[in-house]
Amino acid sequence: MVVDDHPMWRQGVARDLAEAGYDLVATTGEGGQAVRIAPAARPDVVVLDLQLPDISGVEVIRGLLAALPGVRVLMLSASGEEQSVLDAVKAGATGYLLKSASTEEFLEAVRRTAAGDAVFTPGLAGLVLGEYRRLAKGGGPAEDGGAPRLTERETEVLRLVAKGLSYKQIAARLTLSHRTVQNHVQNTLGKLQLHNRVELTRYAIEQGLDGP
Amino acid sequence: MADEPSGTFQVPLWRAIAVFRFASMAYVVAMSAVNLTDYAHPLGAIPALALLVGWSVAAAYLYARPAWRGWPLLGADLAVTLVLLLASPWVVGRTAIDNGVPSLAVAWQAGPVLAWAVSGGRRRGAVAAVVVGLADVSVRAKLTHASATGLMLMLLAGVAVGHVARLGVESEQRLQRAVELEAATRERERLARGIHDSVLQVLALVQRRAAHLDGEAAELARLAGEQEAALRALVAGRPPRSWQPPRQEARRRARPRQRAGPEVDLRAILDGYASPAVSIAAPATPVRLPADVAHEVGAAVGAALDNVARHAGPEARAWVLLEEEDGTVTVAVRDDGPGIPAGRLAEAAREGRLGVAQSIRGRIADLGGAVEIISAPGEGTEVELRLRVSR
Repeated sequence: MVVDDHPMWRQGVARDLAEAGYDLVATTGEGGQAVRIAPAARPDVVVLDLQLPDISGVEVIRGLLAALPGVRVLMLSASGEEQSVLDAVKAGATGYLLKSASTEEFLEAVRRTAAGDAVFTPGLAGLVLGEYRRLAKGGGPAEDGGAPRLTERETEVLRLVAKGLSYKQIAARLTLSHRTVQNHVQNTLGKLQLHNRVELTRYAIEQGLDGP
Repeated sequence: MADEPSGTFQVPLWRAIAVFRFASMAYVVAMSAVNLTDYAHPLGAIPALALLVGWSVAAAYLYARPAWRGWPLLGADLAVTLVLLLASPWVVGRTAIDNGVPSLAVAWQAGPVLAWAVSGGRRRGAVAAVVVGLADVSVRAKLTHASATGLMLMLLAGVAVGHVARLGVESEQRLQRAVELEAATRERERLARGIHDSVLQVLALVQRRAAHLDGEAAELARLAGEQEAALRALVAGRPPRSWQPPRQEARRRARPRQRAGPEVDLRAILDGYASPAVSIAAPATPVRLPADVAHEVGAAVGAALDNVARHAGPEARAWVLLEEEDGTVTVAVRDDGPGIPAGRLAEAAREGRLGVAQSIRGRIADLGGAVEIISAPGEGTEVELRLRVSR
């Protein structure tokens, strides 16, 4: 499923996907519609533009995951909107790609997203690193013991991703297997998403939204 | 005041003055009716009261029009009051006044004082109060306790109302400025959104679709990519819109900073180097440094990137990673070029060519930071700048 409000883009992406042998179940230009048709279309992967005219990317991701748990979301954005990319990742997107990426990079990203891998750009790795540090600094043990932390290895891997090394290069440099590197990257996202859910729940309880 | 804005705030004040005039006019007429038998020249009260009523109506009408609220009207207003006051000894009679019979302008005389105060602030209000007060005192044979109190009250009213009117004008001006500023910001954001939704998308599309073509098309793709990156940096040169920090974050952000002096966001400076060949990775939150430090760091990164372009070949790509942890700001610049053979840098320094050493090490050392250059043939080069930020 392709969600993008720019018709030219939608067509281009759809064509690339079709040529690569993917089964395109739906295309739409609106986030609300994407959430509505997702249960019927049952996509495995949603290619999502973060900037939609109706609702925010985060809302779309939340809606998609609620309607279709386990659906994988690959975000595309035309510009470095740091905070919205980070929010989208925390909401549950597992992949991120700049729109300026080449067709090959794009198809590779779709393939990996479909396989359940996290697709990081160096930029996203920098954002995630920064987010962990912000949480570590601001959270404090008194406030909540649950602020997620990266292991030393995860930090190392993430820094190398941010510096543009491929998983293969990272594996070679740290003498790890390709799979292990992938798992480390995946974990950094997983912990952040879990923390985000915990925070949302706590917020809901504080606001009394959990009651009848 | 000449530069008054539309004055919408003053409209209720003028209306209140008009109401006061009519109320006090009714009071004067009633008092005259009651005391008419005590007057020295009862017939003289007729033109005086006609003037009183006529001017009350005229003033209500004229002051309602902003264009008319000038010196001629204010002067005439005061003159009418003085005429009524000064006519009082003849119409009412000195002995009657001294016996406590009110003058022809009792209470009503505060109207012009208020009008002066609203039109020009405290000082004008005070001047009008003093003029009317002195005239009021002059018609009495002796300064009684009551008339002195009246004078003081009128002075107080003039000053207080003038102050309030001035405050109103100022807050109105401030509000107007804020509204203008907000409109400008909104317009800027609208433009940024527009550029984002159209131009950036098309540029990215051109880059994408033409990237695997040959010759001129590939050149076009490269140009489109460069322009997209440049425009993106330009549009992003502000805090991300449509984002509100959760409450906890808001509180954390509100903490005052210890450091004085202007600080700038290092991310904004580094974003200027973004291009299809240069990726910038940074946190989502600002990395604040004193302006001069940030610009030095930016220049050092620029020198490192220049170095990449010069030595690592045109195909080389570069990645910049900006991190901040525990008061240390780290900027890493990595390229995928051929790398620097061991000892090459030391050799260059011995030969007196100080390119990298001077511009990067020098700049960062001046700031009290450290530079590490890691490279191996075939592995690219990584320059890491580390700087402690005292907070």
